[in-house]
Parts: sequence; structure tokens; C-alpha cells
Amino acid sequence: MWTFGRKIAAGFMLAFLLLLGIGAVAYRSITSLTNANQLITHTYKVLEDVAEVLSLLKDAESGQRGYIITGDDTFLEPYQAGVAGVPAVIKDLRELTSDNPHQQKRIDEAEPLIAAKVAELKLTIDLRRKGSLDETTKVVRGGEGKKIMDNLRRIMSQMDREERDLLKLRADEVGAVASGAKSTIVFGTVLCLLFVTAAGLLITRSLSGQIGAAVQHVQSSSAELQSAANQQASGAKESSTAMTEINTTISELLATSRQIAESAQRVSHVAEETSSAVRAGDQTVQKTHDSVNGIKRQVDLIVTHMLDLGKKSQQIGGILEIINELAEQTNILAINATIEASGAGDAGKRFGVVADEIRKLADRVGGSTKEIRLLIEEIRAAVNTTVMATEGGSKAVDLGARQFAEVTAALKQITELLGTTTEAAREIELSTKQQATAVAQVNGAVSDIAKASKETEVSANQTLQTAGQLAGLSRELTRLIQAPANA
Amino acid sequence: MTEPLAIASRAVELRSVFDRERAIPLSTRAIEQVAGLLSIRVSGDPYAIRVSEISGLANDRKVVAFPSSIPELLGVAGIRGGLVSVYSLAALLGYGREADQARWLILCEAEEPVGLAFSAFEGYLRVPVTQVYATNQRDAARAHVKHVLRTADLVCAVVSIPDILELIKRRCDNSRPAKER
Repeated sequence: MWTFGRKIAAGFMLAFLLLLGIGAVAYRSITSLTNANQLITHTYKVLEDVAEVLSLLKDAESGQRGYIITGDDTFLEPYQAGVAGVPAVIKDLRELTSDNPHQQKRIDEAEPLIAAKVAELKLTIDLRRKGSLDETTKVVRGGEGKKIMDNLRRIMSQMDREERDLLKLRADEVGAVASGAKSTIVFGTVLCLLFVTAAGLLITRSLSGQIGAAVQHVQSSSAELQSAANQQASGAKESSTAMTEINTTISELLATSRQIAESAQRVSHVAEETSSAVRAGDQTVQKTHDSVNGIKRQVDLIVTHMLDLGKKSQQIGGILEIINELAEQTNILAINATIEASGAGDAGKRFGVVADEIRKLADRVGGSTKEIRLLIEEIRAAVNTTVMATEGGSKAVDLGARQFAEVTAALKQITELLGTTTEAAREIELSTKQQATAVAQVNGAVSDIAKASKETEVSANQTLQTAGQLAGLSRELTRLIQAPANA
Repeated sequence: MTEPLAIASRAVELRSVFDRERAIPLSTRAIEQVAGLLSIRVSGDPYAIRVSEISGLANDRKVVAFPSSIPELLGVAGIRGGLVSVYSLAALLGYGREADQARWLILCEAEEPVGLAFSAFEGYLRVPVTQVYATNQRDAARAHVKHVLRTADLVCAVVSIPDILELIKRRCDNSRPAKER
């Protein structure tokens, strides 16, 4: 799409070219007219010289006749002036007609005649001066002079006619050139006017449309700019408020960082004290670990003895079963003996008494074996409980030993970690101090930002005013390029 | 747990009792009417059996199952060189066959030797006959219980072995074919 300047430049360029064409045509016409005028002037000069030649010869003839008649030398002045002026005129005429061979030929014909005429005039004047009037009259009457003059008049007349023909021809050429120049100027001017008018209308219409669209864009942009400026102003205000809050928060952060640095310093001291305490605890734990290992060996021994005791109890139980079985069988035998004795009547009474005593003994043995079984069961239960408790204790001791090993490893790790903690606490202290410095710098930067936010708020308000002015200018520009609808 | 001192004193007491009983002459012993009873358990219930009504006691004898129309008959066992028909005392008393193995046998003398199997034997009792009371119930299901033993720490029914043997006899007679009777 062409820009405004390009369109206007194109319009002016076309108009300039038209004017240049018209000027060139006019210049060429004027040049032709000037050349034609020069040629006409030249023709008039030739005509004047032709007439001058005849006039000088006539003046010389007139002076010759006056002198012949009067014999007074004063009448010879025209003769002398004419004879003296003719060569210069002939020379001028020859130069003026140098481009015309016809005229040069006629001048070649005229020059001997002029010389003969001048010689005839001189002859007659010489004769009169000698006092021979008759001779003089005789020469004049001979008509030679008249004949020469007639020829000269004929030649001059031919030259005059040719020059007048040339004059007419050149006058016609001048008329044609002048008419062409006039037509060119008139039509070119009209064409130029029409073109300039059309170009003006087109450019005006195009510029009105484009400028109108641009102005509408400017109006909408102004509205958006106003909206954006409003948002920017409110945002800058909020930013300013937020920056104030941030400033307060950073101040608190600065105080907190200093407290952290102090706390880190205290942590470092505490870690060093803890490290020495852990080293002491490590030695104690090592001693305790040795004691626990001794306990573990004792417990293992107890477990072995208790297991042996359990096995022995089981063996006792087996033997007791045998005794119980024997007692039961004895009891059965005694009962059967009692039955047999009672079946034997009086003879079996004594035997019955013995059998009864045996049965009682078997009963008592059975009762005792029951008690022993109960005791063995209690012993076995106690042994089992003791073994389980001892195994639990052994496991606890194992666990304790492992835990002591873990505690020892943990204490070593704690010692290493405490070293790391001390270093870390020192690094935290240094970092926190650096952080406090950085926070102070950030605080300053935030203050600058807060100032910048306030300045932004002010500039946003100014932008808002400028956007309003721009909107007003757009409306005025719209009014300028668009006629009112009801106009 | 019994203390060792108490055990020692008990041993002394037992020894003195044994020596005293051995020292008493048989003729001077108190003539007291006592009854010899076996204390047993059938299906968990306590019972007593008169020693005078049986011919022997045995345990852990192998009982070979014997096909029979008498449901109470468990089989036969070899005791003292002869075959003995073994019946379930619990079944005869109306409990049905005991779930536990009846490892005890009382031997009875009838037309044929009979064994009555039961699960638990608790001991031999010598009690005054005054502690054995007759019952006056007429319940057909309890026809074999005609006496009750009541002591300071025990109350139980006394099974009448002759009645049990009679019951077995009736069952055997009923199971025989009519021509054989």
C-alpha cells in the first residue's frame, strides 16, 4: 500500500512531467519561432541590400547626370557615395546569401554589370570634366548605360522575388509553429488541469479513507491506552503498597536473620559440648558392651544347664511312669488277690489282709507317683519357663549387645555428625550474616522499587491524561477529515 | 509345692502306720462290717462296684471285635488263658458306647466268663456297710442300681453286677434263634 507521501509525490511528479512536456513543446516552438524570425529578418536584410544596390547605382547615375548637365563638382557627391557604397553592399549581400546558390549566381551576374555601369559613369564624368559635352552626350545617348541598368534591375528583381517567396514560406512556417505551440499549451494546460484535479480528488479520497481508518485505530488505541493506563496506575498503586509490605517483611527478615546467626553460633557451641559428652559416653558404652558380653556368656551357660535340667526331668518323668505302671499293676494284683482271698473264705482272710496292705502300699505309691508327677510337671514347667525366660534374656542380651554396637556406631556417627553440625552451624552463621547483608541490600533495592512504583503510578496517571488528550485529538482529526453526516 | 520337711514327716507317718498295722494281731482287729468297693467312672459319672460280685480286675487287654446282634458286645479278649466276652458297661447302663477307649475290665463269673469294660478306674474303697444305702426307686432304666454309696466326700451309685449279668443273659437269649432256645 502506498504511503501518503508516495501518493502525493506521485501526483506532483506526474503533474511535473506534464508541465515539463508542455514546457519542452513550448520551448521547441519558441525556438522554431525565433529561428523563423531570424530567417525572416535575414530575408528582409537581403531585400534591403538588393534595394540598396539599385538605390546607390541610381544615386551615382543621378550625380553623373547632374554633373554632366552642370559641370559642377558638387553634383558628384551622390555619384561618389553610390560608387563607394556599392562594393560593401554587394559583399554583405554575398555573405547573406551564401547558403543560396541561386542568389550567388545572380550576384555573380550582377557584379560585372555593376562594374560596367561604374565604368560608364566614370567615363562620362571624365569626358565632361574634359569639357567634351558632346562626347559625353554621345556616350549617354549610346544607351549602353541604360541597358546595363535594365539588366541590373532584372537581376535585382529576380533576387527580390526569390527572397519574397522565401519570406512567404518562412512566414507560413512561423504560423504553423505558433499554431502548434498554442495548441500544445492549451491542450497540455487543460490536460494538466484535469489530471491535477483527478489526482487531487483521488488522493483526497484515499487520504481521507486511510487517515479516517488510522484515526479510528488511534481512537481505539487511545481507549485501550486509557484502560491500560488505568490498570497500570492501579497496578502501580498495588505494587507500591505491596512494596511497602515487602519492605516491612524484609525488615523482619533481617531481624530474623540476625537471630538465626546468633542461634547458629549457640548451636555451634552446644554441638562442641555435645561432641565431648558423646566421646565420654562412647567410652562408657564400650565398657558396658564388654559387661554385656560377659552377661551373655553367663546366660548361655545358664541356658545349657537349664536344658540339661529339663532333659533330666523328662528322664525322671519316664522312670516315674514306669513306677506308676508298676504301682497300678501292683494295685490290680492286690485287688485281684483280695478278690481271691475273699473267695477262699476264712482260709483266705490272712492272705486278704496282706493283699489289702499291698494294695494300700500300691495306692500310696500311686499317690506318691502322682505327687512326684505333679512336682516333675512343675519342675518341667519351671524349667521351660526359665529356659524361655533365659532364652528371652539371651536374646535380649544379644539384642542389647547388637544395640550397644549400634549405639557405639551411632555415637561415632553422632560424633562425626556433630563435627558436620558444627561446621554447618558455622557456615549457617556466616551465610546468615551474608544473608543479612544481602537482605539489607534487598531492602534498599525494594525501597528504590517502591519509589519507582510511585513514579510509575505518577507516569501512569500522566499516560492516562495523555491518552485522554490523544482521544480528543483523534475526535478532532475525525471531524477534520469527515464531514458531518447531516452537513 | 510340697515342702521337703512335710514329705519327710509324711514318710515317717506312713512307716508308723504300716508298722502299727503289721503289729496288730489279726484276731484282735476290730470286727467291723466293711464292704469292698471299686470306684470307677462310666462316661464321666462315678459308680461303685462290689468286689464280692466280681472275679477279677484287668486292664489294657486287647479286645477283638466280634460280629453280633447284641449292640453292647464289644468282642472277645484273652484273659488268664481263656476267652472272655467283653461288654460295654456304659452301653449296658444306658449311656451308649463310650467315646474313649475302655481300657479297664472287670471280670465276672456267670455261665460263661464275662468282662465289663469301662474307661476309668479310680481306686479300691473299703467302707462300712452303713454307708451303703438301699434305694427304693422303681425306674426300669435304673434297675441295675439298687444301692447308693455315701461317704464324707463321695456319693455314687452301686452297680449291681448280678443284675447286669442278668441283663446280658436276656440279651443273649433274645439274640439267639428260636429253635436254639
